[in-house]
Amino acid sequence: MTDGSNPNVGQVILLTGAVALFAAGGGISLSRLWADHLWSRLAAKACMWFGVAVSIGVLVWHSVERRSWLPLEDNFDTFVWLGVMLALFVMYVQRRKPIGGLEWFVMPIVILLLIGAAVFGSARPHEYVRGAWGWVHRLGAFGGAAAFAVAAAAGAMYLVANKRLREKSLLAAAAAPPPSLSPGDPPRFASLERLEHVTLAAVTLGFALLTLGAVTGIVQMIFEHKATSFAKVALTAVAWLVYGLALHSPITPSFRGRKTAMLSIAGFALMIAVLITVQLMPTSSSSGG
Amino acid sequence: MTNRLLLIGLNHTTAPLAVRERVALPSERAAEALAALRGRFGGCEAVLLSTCNRVELYLAHADTAVPTRADVASFLADFHSIPADDFEPHLYEMTDRAAAQHLFEVASSLDSMVLGESQILGQVRHGYDMASAAGATGAMLNPLFQRAIAAGKEVLSTTSLGEGRLSIAGIAVEYARRVFETFDDKTVLCIGAGKMAQLALRHFAELRPKRLIVCNRDSERAASVAAQFKGERAAFASLDEQLAQADVVISSTGSTQPIVTRPRMEHVLRTRRYRPVFVIDIAVPRDVEPSVGELDAVYLYNIDDLQQAVSATQQQRSSAIDAARAIVTQRVEEFVAWNRQRDLGPTIDLLYKRYHAIARVEMERIAGALPNLTIAEREALDEAARRIVNKLLHGPVSALKNPGAAHAVSPQYLHAMEKLFELEVTEEGGASGAGDE
Repeated sequence: MTDGSNPNVGQVILLTGAVALFAAGGGISLSRLWADHLWSRLAAKACMWFGVAVSIGVLVWHSVERRSWLPLEDNFDTFVWLGVMLALFVMYVQRRKPIGGLEWFVMPIVILLLIGAAVFGSARPHEYVRGAWGWVHRLGAFGGAAAFAVAAAAGAMYLVANKRLREKSLLAAAAAPPPSLSPGDPPRFASLERLEHVTLAAVTLGFALLTLGAVTGIVQMIFEHKATSFAKVALTAVAWLVYGLALHSPITPSFRGRKTAMLSIAGFALMIAVLITVQLMPTSSSSGG
Repeated sequence: MTNRLLLIGLNHTTAPLAVRERVALPSERAAEALAALRGRFGGCEAVLLSTCNRVELYLAHADTAVPTRADVASFLADFHSIPADDFEPHLYEMTDRAAAQHLFEVASSLDSMVLGESQILGQVRHGYDMASAAGATGAMLNPLFQRAIAAGKEVLSTTSLGEGRLSIAGIAVEYARRVFETFDDKTVLCIGAGKMAQLALRHFAELRPKRLIVCNRDSERAASVAAQFKGERAAFASLDEQLAQADVVISSTGSTQPIVTRPRMEHVLRTRRYRPVFVIDIAVPRDVEPSVGELDAVYLYNIDDLQQAVSATQQQRSSAIDAARAIVTQRVEEFVAWNRQRDLGPTIDLLYKRYHAIARVEMERIAGALPNLTIAEREALDEAARRIVNKLLHGPVSALKNPGAAHAVSPQYLHAMEKLFELEVTEEGGASGAGDE
């Protein structure tokens, strides 16, 4: 719920431009499923890079306006940062060791985060960020959410790839030569093994950050007497348990593969619920993370 | 008397794997089947072609002893002790030119599950060699198969159909790469040591797996194949143990019963802590129970599954297909023309002999009525008679040698000609004319 201190119109317009660029990039990338051309590959990349550039421009403008360069200081800043970090992560992975189709799954999350910034993004600085505990809490919570977004995207890709393998419907993709980094190669998903590895790595990182955020939140509650909502605490606890369960897959055979993927998606849905719960609550009763 | 060519069979396009595996003729029973077939159909020429994807019977026979589709279906049903109704609807039947065309396309891998794969050429040769060794081939099937094999070689060596082709094993590797990212930490297990198994192993060996195990009932053969790929041999009795270690399982045995059953695989999965396993069952009949593929950690692919992945590639190779088809069509035309000449030769000879004889008789009569004819005049009259006969017969003979597509020479056509021109064919295959004096 906004509190009247939203980002200014110019920033929202720029943010809308970034959303359009990311949407165009994702759409062009997706179109390569049907007709793959060098120009479409380059256009998709260009759209995403411009989207990142515009988003960073918004962050700079916002920081200049509020006269503070401390990241994650308010909700608007935090959402945009999350979106930018996710987009940069996708582009880094696709450059170093491509996972075909990763952008199709992560870009919608980036777009939702930017839209969330415009809708929920209060520009009023949170009081708690003035303390180290509060800042670490917020970093842990949002960093964890970013990692879980990657885990959920990789998990969703795992489920799709697994379904295609089970239905034996690879058709042309299976008959096509192995992918290389050269332009013009048809996009394809990574192997199940790699997707599972990415999911687990992201869940591990996210779990550590979420734990950090939860512990610092508890510290704030106990020692700084910060008020918070029961819904937020309960949802966070459930999300923490779900990810804890997902992390069990290496040692609990029955939680391998598909179940881990589903847990990572369910956990991310819970994290989104936590974030929305926080945004819907009055700032005074929330730690913002 | 002429021979007719008959083909009756089923393949991957007309029959699902479940049907094909029931009708398949394993190589160890092929000779027995061939003997039974010839015994049943009066010593006709016969070649059996039984592969993973097809069971085809090529028969050449005198036109007076034509086995019907129902006869052949009944033979297969009796041989396998299965009801004919189970597979009869999947059978196709071709005769003469269509049958020859089909064989040429099969040998050229134009009719293969994986377009351009060369295994089929070896399988056609094997089927022919076996029939030839059994004395089951003759004047029709010998040239037919020899020419089909030559055409197959020509197609694979002169067109791009065979270039960069994807074999069943090649496609299986592609699927495996969708499951696993790396193979240097994986174990590949091959159950069986036949040609298909070796072909699959060759592809998987290129991935440089950590371990490569060959498990076969014939331990020496397993050792030989394992050595070929720098792998290890494992006793067939230790199959469960090997399955528990394997990440990729290739199964291609001649077993008529499934080797990897669902309960067995469930037990193996527990032992291997539900790590994913990629199973390729390229055996016909199948070695792995289909329900094994329903298990969460198992990715099971059989011959038909791999076929689906090929169709798109086949489309991409349309230009090569056109070139290959052109070669096949030309070679089939040549065979048909040669065969027609062979069938027509005695009849045409007989026709000319008969009418020249009639002309000679008439010339003798004229010569008798004209006693003052000089030798030169007599020779001129003989030459005129000869030329008249040749010109009269030129039209019908040309039409006979080069019939239109709608009037291809058939035994009935030849028979009609013999009747119309009052020709008499001897039992020795020669011919004599009624007017041949």
